[in-house]
Amino acid sequence: MSFILLKGFFKKELTQALRDKRMRLLIFALPAIQLTIFGFALKTEVRNVRLAVQGRADDALLQRVARRAYASGYFVPAETGADWLAALRSGKAEAVLAGPVNGTLAERMDRDAAPLQLLLDASNMQRAQQLETYMAQIAAQELAEYSGHGRAPPAPSKISVRVLYNPALDSAIFMVPAVMCLVLCVITIILTAMALAREKEIGTFETIISAPLSNTEILSGKTLPYVLIGLADVPIILGVAELLFRVPIRGPLWELGAASAVFVFTTVAIGTVISTFAKNQQQAMMASFLFMFPAILLSGVMFPVENIPDAFKILAHINPLKYFVTLLRGIMLKDMALQSFVFNLSCMAALSAAAVAMAVLRFRQKLN
Amino acid sequence: MNETPSVLVKNLTIRFGAFTAVDDISFSVGKGEIFGFLGANGAGKTTTIRALCGLLTPSSGEISVAGATPLEPELLKARIGYMSQRFTLYPDLTVDENLAFAGALRKMTPGQAKKRSEELLDFTGFSFGRAKLVRELPGGARQQVALAAAVLHDPQVIFLDEPTAGVSAQAREQFWALIRRMAKQDKTVFVTTHYMDEAEECGRIALMSAGKIIALDSPANLEKTAFKNPLYETLAPEGVNLAQEAKLSGAGHAEPAGLKWRVEVSNPAAWEKLCADKKLLPHPAKPTLEDVFLKLVGAGK
Amino acid sequence: MSPKLRVAASIALKEARHILRDPLTLAMALGMPVILVTLFGFIIDFHYKNISVSLFDHDKTPASRSFARSLGAANYFRVLPSEDARNPEHTLADNASFAALIINPGFGRDLDNPEDKPAIQLLLDGSDNAKTGIAMGYFQKAAALGLSAARGQRPPPESTPLSTRFLFNHELNSRWFIIPGLTVVICGLIGILLTALTVAREWENGSMEMLLSTPARPGAIIAGKLAPYLLLGFCGVAFVYAAARLVFGVPFCGSHALYALSCVLFLLAATAQGLFISIVTRQQQLAMQFAIVSGLLPSLLLSGFVFPVASMPEFFRYFTFILPPRWFMEISRGIFLKGSGLADLWPQLLMQALLCAVLIKLALKKFKTDLEP
Repeated sequence: MSFILLKGFFKKELTQALRDKRMRLLIFALPAIQLTIFGFALKTEVRNVRLAVQGRADDALLQRVARRAYASGYFVPAETGADWLAALRSGKAEAVLAGPVNGTLAERMDRDAAPLQLLLDASNMQRAQQLETYMAQIAAQELAEYSGHGRAPPAPSKISVRVLYNPALDSAIFMVPAVMCLVLCVITIILTAMALAREKEIGTFETIISAPLSNTEILSGKTLPYVLIGLADVPIILGVAELLFRVPIRGPLWELGAASAVFVFTTVAIGTVISTFAKNQQQAMMASFLFMFPAILLSGVMFPVENIPDAFKILAHINPLKYFVTLLRGIMLKDMALQSFVFNLSCMAALSAAAVAMAVLRFRQKLN
Repeated sequence: MNETPSVLVKNLTIRFGAFTAVDDISFSVGKGEIFGFLGANGAGKTTTIRALCGLLTPSSGEISVAGATPLEPELLKARIGYMSQRFTLYPDLTVDENLAFAGALRKMTPGQAKKRSEELLDFTGFSFGRAKLVRELPGGARQQVALAAAVLHDPQVIFLDEPTAGVSAQAREQFWALIRRMAKQDKTVFVTTHYMDEAEECGRIALMSAGKIIALDSPANLEKTAFKNPLYETLAPEGVNLAQEAKLSGAGHAEPAGLKWRVEVSNPAAWEKLCADKKLLPHPAKPTLEDVFLKLVGAGK
Repeated sequence: MSPKLRVAASIALKEARHILRDPLTLAMALGMPVILVTLFGFIIDFHYKNISVSLFDHDKTPASRSFARSLGAANYFRVLPSEDARNPEHTLADNASFAALIINPGFGRDLDNPEDKPAIQLLLDGSDNAKTGIAMGYFQKAAALGLSAARGQRPPPESTPLSTRFLFNHELNSRWFIIPGLTVVICGLIGILLTALTVAREWENGSMEMLLSTPARPGAIIAGKLAPYLLLGFCGVAFVYAAARLVFGVPFCGSHALYALSCVLFLLAATAQGLFISIVTRQQQLAMQFAIVSGLLPSLLLSGFVFPVASMPEFFRYFTFILPPRWFMEISRGIFLKGSGLADLWPQLLMQALLCAVLIKLALKKFKTDLEP
C-alpha cells in the first residue's frame, strides 16, 4: 500500500468534502444540532397528560383528587366543557376523571366498589396503561388519607426497589447514546456511498481506474478519508452529550474510542459496498437509505430489540447499529464488563470484515 | 516495422448485450506513430480505446499495448496515458490539486509530480493561474490540463479520445502542434477524432464505421486509392439535385459538400452531356479524406 | 386542455417514465411502505413482556420459592436462576438480565413479622427509563400477589377505587397506534426525500435548466414534476390503509373524505419541502442529507409517531407546531381510531393548510428567484 497514494487520496477527498461551506456545516455542525434537538425532545416519560374533571361542582373530594393528580407532575389541567368525548376526539384532553353520578365522591366511596371512573384516550396504549397506574395510585392515596384508613393496597414494606445507572429515570441518558449512533451512521454511510457513485457519475472514475492500482488500493483511498471524517465527529457528539445532557461516561474512554472507530469503519465499509452496486448517485442514495432505515428501526434506538420475534431476530444480529447502541449505553452508563465489550466489538468487527470483503470482491475497475 | 508494435490488436470484438460495438477489428501501431481513428459517433472508436486502456473487458480477441496485455492491468496502465472524451478532471479542485492527485495516483513523489506538472503546463501552453478551480477555466485550457494529467507519468503510449471536441479552432491548432511535439519525443500517439482536417495530420488512419474498420492507410494513400475515377467539384443551379441526376444519367456518383457538389465520374461521356444539359461549370478536385470517408462509409451501407 | 395544463401533464408523464424505469426509485417508493408495514406490523413490539429477572434466592425456603414462582407466572417477568456467589449488579452490567431479585435469608421466617426490614430487594437497570417505569408497575402488582402466595393465602382482591375505560383502543393494541402513524412517515419519505433527491439530480445534470429555457412557465414545470410523487404518496397511503384495515383490523371510525383531504395537504406540503430542499442545495448529496435531517427524522421522531409530543419539553412542543407531520399524525390517528370529524380536527387541519401554503409559497419563490445557477 503506497503511502503516497493514500496521502493523495486523503488530500483530494478531504479537500472536496470540506471545500463547500454547506458540506462543512453538514459534517460538523449538523450532527451536534440533531443530537441536541433529539436529545431534548425525545422523552419517553409520561408527562403533561391533559386531564379534565367531570363531576358535580360541589364534589370537594373529587377536586382534591384532581389537584393531587396535577401536583404529581404527570397531569396538567384541561377544559372540556360538557362534551368530554368531543374533547378527547379533538385532542383537547387525553383523560377524563369522572366522579360518581348519584352523589359526591365522599358519599359514594364506601358504597361503590369503584366510585371513580377514568376515561382514557387509549390510542397510545402504553401511555394509557402507565397513566392508569399513576392515577390509580393517586386516587387510592387521596382517598386513604381522607378516610384515615387504608383503601390503598397494602404496600409491601418488605420490599425495597433500587434503580441503577439512572436513578432519576432521565430520558436523555437513554436516548442520547442512541441518537449519537443514529447521527454518526447517517453521515458516514451517505458520504461514503455517494463518494464513489459521484465519481462514476461525473466521469472521474475513469481517471482513477486508468491508473495502475489494485482494488484494495482504490477502495482504501476512497473510503479511509471518510473514516477520518466520521471519527472527527465523535468528539463533537460526545462533547454535546457531556456538556448539554450530562450523560455520564462511567467506562474507560479508550473503550469508547475503540467502539466508535470500529463502528465508523463498519458504516464506511457498508457505504462502500452500497456504492459498488450503484451506477450513479441517485442509486447510491436510495440504496443507502433502504439499508439505513430498517437498520435504525431495529437498532434499539426507538424500540426494544428484545421484543423482536425469534424468526426475525437475525435481522438485529446482523445490524451493526444494534451493537454500537449496546456498546455506547453499556460503556457510558454501566461501565460494562470487558467480556460483553469484547463480544459486541467483535460482532461489529466481523460485520465490517464481511462488508470489506464484499466490497473488494464486487469492485470492478471496468466501465462495463 | 521490425520492432514490436506499440499497439497490437487482433480480432477484437466487444459486445454490450445484443449490440456489437466493435466487430472483429485488427490493426497495429508502431512506435512514434501518430495513429488516427476516424469515424462518426457510435462507430466504436471510444469503445476500442477503452478496451485498449484496460477499462473495458473485450468479448473476444487479443490486445497488446506497450508489450502488456489486459491480463496484466497494472503493467499496462503504467505504460499508457489516457485522456478521455468525457471531462475527467475534478471541477471542484484547482489545477494544482488535480495534477497533484494525478501524480499520487501514479505513486510519483510530490516533488516529481510538481516538476512534471510545471514542465507539462509549459509544454501545453497553459496560461491561466494554477490555483484556479478547473470548472472556472475555458474549454481549451481544461483540455491542456487534462492532457498534462494524462501524461504526467511520461507514458510510452498516449491515447487521446476526441481531445479537441468542443474546443475553439485556434485551440485545436495549438493542440495538434502539441501532439506533433509529443510524437517527436518518440511517443506513440493514438487519437480518435471525427474532424477530417485533423485526420490529415496523422501518419496512418483507420476508418471505422458500425464497429468495423473499413480502411486503414496513410491519408495520402487513402485518397489515392479510394478514387480510381477522377473527381470534380461544381456548383449546380437551383432546384437541380445532382445526386439524382448523376445517378440517372450514369455519369457517376455525386455528394453534396456545402453549397457545392463533388462528383466521381465513372462515365466521362455521360458526364459531359450532363454538364452541357444543366449548364454546369465543373473543375477537377483533389480527393480529401472527407470524400474518402463518405465513399467508403456509403459503400458499406 | 389549456396549454399550461398540457405542459404540466407532459412533464408529469416524462417524470413518471423516469421513475418507472429506475428500479431503485420504484423500490423505495413502493417497497418502503411494504417494508415499514412489515416491520412495524409484525416485527417491532412495544409491549414489554418477559422482562428478565435474575433470581438470587438466599433464603431457599418454600415461601421464597413460592414468591419467585408467582413472579414468573404471568408473562411480565422471566425469572432466571443465578449462582449465589455472583454479584447481582454484574448481571445488570453484563446485560445478562434487566433486573435482579435478591431474597435475603430470613424472608420465609419473618414473613408475618411486622418488622419493616426489607427482606427482598429488586435492582432495576435504569438506563431504559421507560422500561424501568413499566417494570416497576408490573412489579408492584406481582409483588403483592407474590407475598400472598408466599403466605399461602389467596391473592387479595383488586382494590382500587378507580375503574378505567380505555376509549378508542379498547384492546390496547399497539398496531392500532402505530399503523395509522405509518402513513405520515411514508408520505414524508416519499414527499420530502424522494422529491428532493430526484429534483436535485436534475439541477446537477443540467436538465432542469434545459426545461427552464423552454417557454414553459415555472409553475407548470413544478406542477408536472411533483405530480408523480403526489401520486406515489397516495399509493403509499392506499397501501397502508389496506394493510391497516385488512391485515391488522385497525378500525376506521371517521370520514374518508376528510382523511383524503388531509393526505393531500400533507403530500403537497411534503413535496413542496422536497422541492425547496432541492433548490437550496442543487446537489444530490447535500439534498439527501438535508432531506433526512429536516424531513425524515422529524417525521419519525418529532411527529408523535413513537415519542408523544405532550411529553416533550415546552420549547419543543411549540417547535413541532411548524412541522406538518405532527399535525397529520394527530389527524390520521384521530380519524382512524377516534372517529374525529371536522368539528374536532379543524385546528389541526388549519395548521396543515397554513404550513402547506407557506411551504409552497417558499418553494415557488425560491424557484423563481434562483433560476441562475
